Amino acid sequence: MIAAARKSRPRFKREWITSYIFLLPALAFFIMFVAYPMLRGIYMSFFDYTLTSFEFIGFDNYRTLYEDKNFHKSMWNTIKLVVVGVPIVIIFSIFVAMTIYKKHESVRSLFRGIFYLPAVTSVVSVTVVWGWIYHPNYGVLNYLTGIFGAEPISWLGEPKTALWAITAILVTTSVGQPIILYVAALGNIPISYIEAAQIDRATPGQIFRKIIWPMLMPTNLYVIVITTINTFQCFSLIQLLTSGGPIYSTSTVMYGVYEQAFQFGNFGLASAMGIVLAVIIGIISIIQFKFLGSDVEY
Amino acid sequence: MISTKKRFVQLFVSALVLLLIAACSSNGGNNAPSNSNEPASPAKTAEPAATDTAAKPVEITWWNFPNFQALDGEVGKFEKQIIEAFNKKHPEITVKLEMLTFDGGPEKLNVAIATNTAPDVIYDAPGRIIDWGKKNLLVPLNDMFTQETLNDISPSLMQLSSAGDQIYMYPFNTGPFMMAVNKTLFEDIGALDLLPLDRPDRTWTVAEYEAALRAVKEKAPDVIPSGFFAKSQAGDQGTRGYLTNLGLTTFLNEDNSAVAINSESGVKGLEWLLQAAEDGLVAPGAASLAASDHNDLFLQGKMAFAINYSAVLKAQFAPNKTVEFEDVLLPYPTPDGSDPKLEPFIGGLAVFNNKNEDKIAASKTFIDFLVNDPEWSKKALIQTGGLSARNSVTGLYEGSEYEYSELARNFITNPPVTADGYAEIRTYWFPALQQTLLKVATPQQALDEFAQKANDAIAKAKASLNK
Repeated sequence: MIAAARKSRPRFKREWITSYIFLLPALAFFIMFVAYPMLRGIYMSFFDYTLTSFEFIGFDNYRTLYEDKNFHKSMWNTIKLVVVGVPIVIIFSIFVAMTIYKKHESVRSLFRGIFYLPAVTSVVSVTVVWGWIYHPNYGVLNYLTGIFGAEPISWLGEPKTALWAITAILVTTSVGQPIILYVAALGNIPISYIEAAQIDRATPGQIFRKIIWPMLMPTNLYVIVITTINTFQCFSLIQLLTSGGPIYSTSTVMYGVYEQAFQFGNFGLASAMGIVLAVIIGIISIIQFKFLGSDVEY
Repeated sequence: MISTKKRFVQLFVSALVLLLIAACSSNGGNNAPSNSNEPASPAKTAEPAATDTAAKPVEITWWNFPNFQALDGEVGKFEKQIIEAFNKKHPEITVKLEMLTFDGGPEKLNVAIATNTAPDVIYDAPGRIIDWGKKNLLVPLNDMFTQETLNDISPSLMQLSSAGDQIYMYPFNTGPFMMAVNKTLFEDIGALDLLPLDRPDRTWTVAEYEAALRAVKEKAPDVIPSGFFAKSQAGDQGTRGYLTNLGLTTFLNEDNSAVAINSESGVKGLEWLLQAAEDGLVAPGAASLAASDHNDLFLQGKMAFAINYSAVLKAQFAPNKTVEFEDVLLPYPTPDGSDPKLEPFIGGLAVFNNKNEDKIAASKTFIDFLVNDPEWSKKALIQTGGLSARNSVTGLYEGSEYEYSELARNFITNPPVTADGYAEIRTYWFPALQQTLLKVATPQQALDEFAQKANDAIAKAKASLNK
């Protein structure tokens, strides 16, 4: 027996090495396209990196961001988007999922398709359509509000409405995946739990709070973390619809990174912005894992 | 069996390591400097003249914005024809073409310069080219100009193509930026007499312009009288030209060393615009309209006047019209009807200093062909829809608008695009306009704040150039 084990040890070692070699391509791609750019970003954030200079300046880029009013505004806008957008996405997704998951398969598929459509449609097409909906002169939205006697509004042109107009689009493009995940998660909750609660005369609210919600926790954790990260990184909608304006009222940190790097050529400052955003997203994700992940068992 | 396996594993690992090293090191192009972080170093002076090109094979890259009208609806088709014709004379030079867009092109160029992957030849305007020249990213083209050529190009165009004594851009096509009117609409509403089309130079006053706007509002309520835009930098020569003429002032002072538009006249121009917007004479939501949105409204026949037009743009926009109408060029109105000051459009070619003498020489040969070949320079010029930068080349086109465009060259002024720090200055312009249009600040406050930031940018740029 011991002899057999000794005999198989070199073979085991070979297999062990071979399996790691098979992982190498994935590791190579990870290093090239994730780890290296990240480390490079951190490195670049300590340099005055423009079209003509690459000079070490320590924490000056971070100091500039600390004093930059436009960056503060962008950060504040990003936080507003997350604080308002993420809860709406979660509540709306759960509401839709709860409404459709018991319906007939064809009805369920129809609604899943409808809500998933904005997620699979090209962002450019979606923004073109929304651009026309919000158009101050020829937009459908102003036409509809006009029926009730409201004055036309430049939805994307007024600092007071622009960010909320963007949030509305962001919500429509973000709910598709959570709805599909919640419908699947709700389908996995044993019906006997709910029936037992109903026999015990539990109210629908109690059933949701005591049975459905805890059973949805693994899905919740994933959906909340991913939606938060995606919202923090909101860029294309803003770039295509408002370019961060008017007066930086829709500028987000990600848009600021793009603007500084690709429009103004300040690659060092843009890297510093990216690092600050990554740190904030990291902290928030850790907090979310701590509070939402404690009951999760995989 | 085992040794084959071992060899395979060794080979596999070595290949991966090589791949990683190749990917993480500086780019492997033969024009790349040793360290990818270091921006291209200053250009050396006195490059070999275009005629010195060696006959050995050279490959150059040419990045082009859609400066030429698309042939048969295909962007880049005309450029390919130029390259084909060039290769008949210079088969040893391979030209790799890459088409840029006006939206994403500037960003792509910024990244390419910062990562030492800039093209060899670029066809662009002084706004960017002279900024690159001042940063020593380009090769001076002085050796391409004979005295005869210099005498044939107006000094103001040469000044716009140069930084100090060095010529960085070979000027090719030009034309003044103006505004345009939908003449058909005015014919339809019976108000053609309100336009200054019967005057040879078409100059007019702000009061006459306002009367025309009010006529549109009254007689064609479905049409927006005029437009304005402040969403982004794109097309900012239009907003500058419009406001400086409305107030009869200039954007920067005479030697481009400080902002001048925050003067009393400049403020008056902006106040007029605000009042016009309140009176419903300007498209609503101007703060969030891009130049392209503004153009679209005009080309769709939904707006009577466009504030950013030229003979070149007229030709470029022609396929985008969704309704048939006659678009006619007009100068910007001034308070007293005096001669307007029009910023010129200039397109020209420049060579990036990629530190390869052969490529530099080949690039100059290519530029020389494009701008001086008896047959193709004319074809190319017509394809841009612009006028020639050469005084001797006239009468390229038939039609009253080109004739007027030639005449309006008399109103050309020195634009601020070659000012030190211009690239930064323009990033403060559209937020200042947004502040005013949204009434977050008064015209005076917004222009003063703009002036302060822009003056700082000029001072910073001058200081860094003197380093």
